[in-house]
Amino acid sequence: MRIGALPGIAIIGLVIIARLTGSMQSLEWLVFDNFLRLRPQEPIDKRIVIVGINEDDIRSRKDQPIDSPISDHDLAKLLMKLHTYSPAVIGLDIYRDLPVNPGNTELLSAFSKIHNLIAIEKVLPDQVAPPSALPPEQIGFADQLTDIDGKLRRSLLATPTDKGYKLSLSLRLASAYLALRGISLENGIHNHTAMQFGNTELPQFLPDSGAYVGADAGGYQILINFRSGGERFKTLSWSDIKGGDFDPKSIKSKIVIIGMTAPSRKDFITTSAVTTFKPATGRVYGVEIQAHVISQIISAVLDSRPLLNTWDKQWEYLWIVSWGFLGILIARLTQSPLLNLVATSLAVCILVVTTYLLLIWGWWVPLIPAILVLSVNGIALTSVYQYNQALKLGLQARQVVIERTFETIHNGPLQSLAKVLKLFRGEDLPINKLLPELEKELEKLNHELRGIYEFLQQEPPSQDWSLYLGKNLVINLQYPLHEILYQVYSHTLERDFPYFRTIKVKICTFEPIEDKSLGIENKRGICRFLEEALCNVGKHATGVTCLQVTCSAAQGWQTLTIVDNGLGTNSSREGRGTQQSKYLAQEIQGKFRRISLAPRGTLCELSWPMASF
Amino acid sequence: MKQALLAKVLLKILVIDDHESVLGGTVDVLRKHYSSAEFITAINAKDALHQVTNSQPDLVVMDLSIPEHIGMRARPDTGVQLLKILMKNYPSLNIVVQSVHIRTLVRIRPNIDSHKGGFTVVDKSLSTQEMLTRTDWALQGLTHTKDIKSIHSGLEVKPEWLMVLTLAFEEGLQDKAIAEKMCISERMIRHYWNKLQDTLNVYPGEGKNIRIQTEMRARAEGLID
Repeated sequence: MRIGALPGIAIIGLVIIARLTGSMQSLEWLVFDNFLRLRPQEPIDKRIVIVGINEDDIRSRKDQPIDSPISDHDLAKLLMKLHTYSPAVIGLDIYRDLPVNPGNTELLSAFSKIHNLIAIEKVLPDQVAPPSALPPEQIGFADQLTDIDGKLRRSLLATPTDKGYKLSLSLRLASAYLALRGISLENGIHNHTAMQFGNTELPQFLPDSGAYVGADAGGYQILINFRSGGERFKTLSWSDIKGGDFDPKSIKSKIVIIGMTAPSRKDFITTSAVTTFKPATGRVYGVEIQAHVISQIISAVLDSRPLLNTWDKQWEYLWIVSWGFLGILIARLTQSPLLNLVATSLAVCILVVTTYLLLIWGWWVPLIPAILVLSVNGIALTSVYQYNQALKLGLQARQVVIERTFETIHNGPLQSLAKVLKLFRGEDLPINKLLPELEKELEKLNHELRGIYEFLQQEPPSQDWSLYLGKNLVINLQYPLHEILYQVYSHTLERDFPYFRTIKVKICTFEPIEDKSLGIENKRGICRFLEEALCNVGKHATGVTCLQVTCSAAQGWQTLTIVDNGLGTNSSREGRGTQQSKYLAQEIQGKFRRISLAPRGTLCELSWPMASF
Repeated sequence: MKQALLAKVLLKILVIDDHESVLGGTVDVLRKHYSSAEFITAINAKDALHQVTNSQPDLVVMDLSIPEHIGMRARPDTGVQLLKILMKNYPSLNIVVQSVHIRTLVRIRPNIDSHKGGFTVVDKSLSTQEMLTRTDWALQGLTHTKDIKSIHSGLEVKPEWLMVLTLAFEEGLQDKAIAEKMCISERMIRHYWNKLQDTLNVYPGEGKNIRIQTEMRARAEGLID
């Protein structure tokens, strides 16, 4: 776990850096737009009616060129006609900074008669002036701000200009409509710079709201919560109005917006957040955008429909980090790749569904960075961990094989070799007797070494429960320890060591041993310890007549003692065997000692605590 | 003594062997010798355990190489495991192991040493007469394991056996006094004598005084001074 979490944390860090530098903006916008578009369809907002002047309307005008603007005369007649159906407020989303004769006087008279009319201007460069006949309260700007990918996601509601603080057409129309219901636009209670209708505060868009990084958040902007579904507003054509081909009730006390819905007039904007076919897929007429924004505001105030909010940065990053850690957790806890894949996929599904639901409820939370950290940490890191784990296990197994091979060699052939050397150095035998003796011993050594090779080849080390004792005697280490120890004892004493021959009495006790707490390797070690201790008696205990081997339990400790009464060699050198025994004692939290007894004899003892104590 | 045993009305003997023919042969031989005995047979370890539990035999004559249960291969290891269970659950059961694999028993030597009932080993190559003698010994609660003794030199004894020897021949105590001194039952002392005699190769025979033979052998081997 110490090394484990580091790569995962690094991935989380990298993703956060990528997000902070804005590299994920476009991806997150893509998800945002798609999620908005995939929301369930909402009912048509009947409080808003669009009067769209379409291609047919333009072409059906008499005596006028097709590409000429709608004349003041036509506009005045349309306005006056609509006025008779007493709508709540009329928005004129057609620029009229200059007179378009014929009929300018008619239009001016219509302007003076209709007080619930709001016309447009353009305040951001290049500017377009409002109709000069209308007072500033009846003017709203029609400017729209698109993101760097050319798509519309936010709406500018108000902005300071060199001619003062201006409000947008949509905000003017919404506030005029709400004013009729006694709800007026005020400054926020919690946030004094915020806009508020009644209890509904319009959440202000900031440069780093949601996925945005360093966006132009000038003026007062909100994220557009498009009304979901296609053509969510009643749209009448100019000819419908002229011919009276509509239900007067559908206009009475409604917000009416007049705008161009003719592709040739190119008043449209790009968005992927709504399903559209007119004028083209992904494009929406400007007048329709106005309707969406107005609907968003009045629905929030009157129907409590959610506005789009974003979390503060620290919560967003906490969210991302949390999913990243979930990924790390999955990688740690799942063993098989399949299980890992299933767990990660499930987590990703939960994440996607959660963010989608949150968006429906008006909260835009980061999905792409969270998916990245979750899946990268969950799936990719697993392989890293597994590789690491396999490497560790491989090394461990290798070490075990090395240790065991050496132990087997040490307690077998090396002992024989020592005997050969002793024969050689002892010079007790004349050379003609020594040679056949040596040949015999070397032949034995040859067999022993080959035996080890065969033994190691037989058994895969990973599931090795066997103890090799030479002469093809292999003991299953799963048997109770005292039984195995007796076999080791019995077998070792059968080996051809000079001082075994002088033993007259062997006093031995092998009491049952509680060996549940001992692993296979520990048991193997204890067997090797006994084997080695007995070999030492056979090699060094000159004149031994009595051998005592005791395996017993007392006061919570298991003790294995080997005592002889021979004249042992007093070697100060710490042999391989002693090292092994000390290491073993450490492994089983026990004690090891080898001491000389007075007047003669050696005691070799290994003890370890019993599991229940 | 033989008469007394033969007179026992309900002597029950369980014979275990996986070969029907061998099983029949063994039962025949035994039936001639123990004419009044009741014979029960088993052909695998599971069956054998079942029979021992149900019939509570006085003697078990078993082969080591038997299958675990019907359809399995016969392995000496199965017999050894069965033997371990029998010795653990019925510490005073008399047992005769009749096998060609008797060396396998070396590994449960400590279990045999602490078994309180009779325990004798018969190599299948031994004569019928020898087999019957050892069966008799087992029924008498004696131990005869000479054939599975380790081939290494020197006697193998347990500390408590030495204690019995010392108390008997150096302090001249009787079994009852030894038992009191060692805080164990007299029965246990007899069990220790059995084991000691087996170790010292002292077995019953015509006109032998077992105790004196034991002392002589023990002194010769240096177990007592």
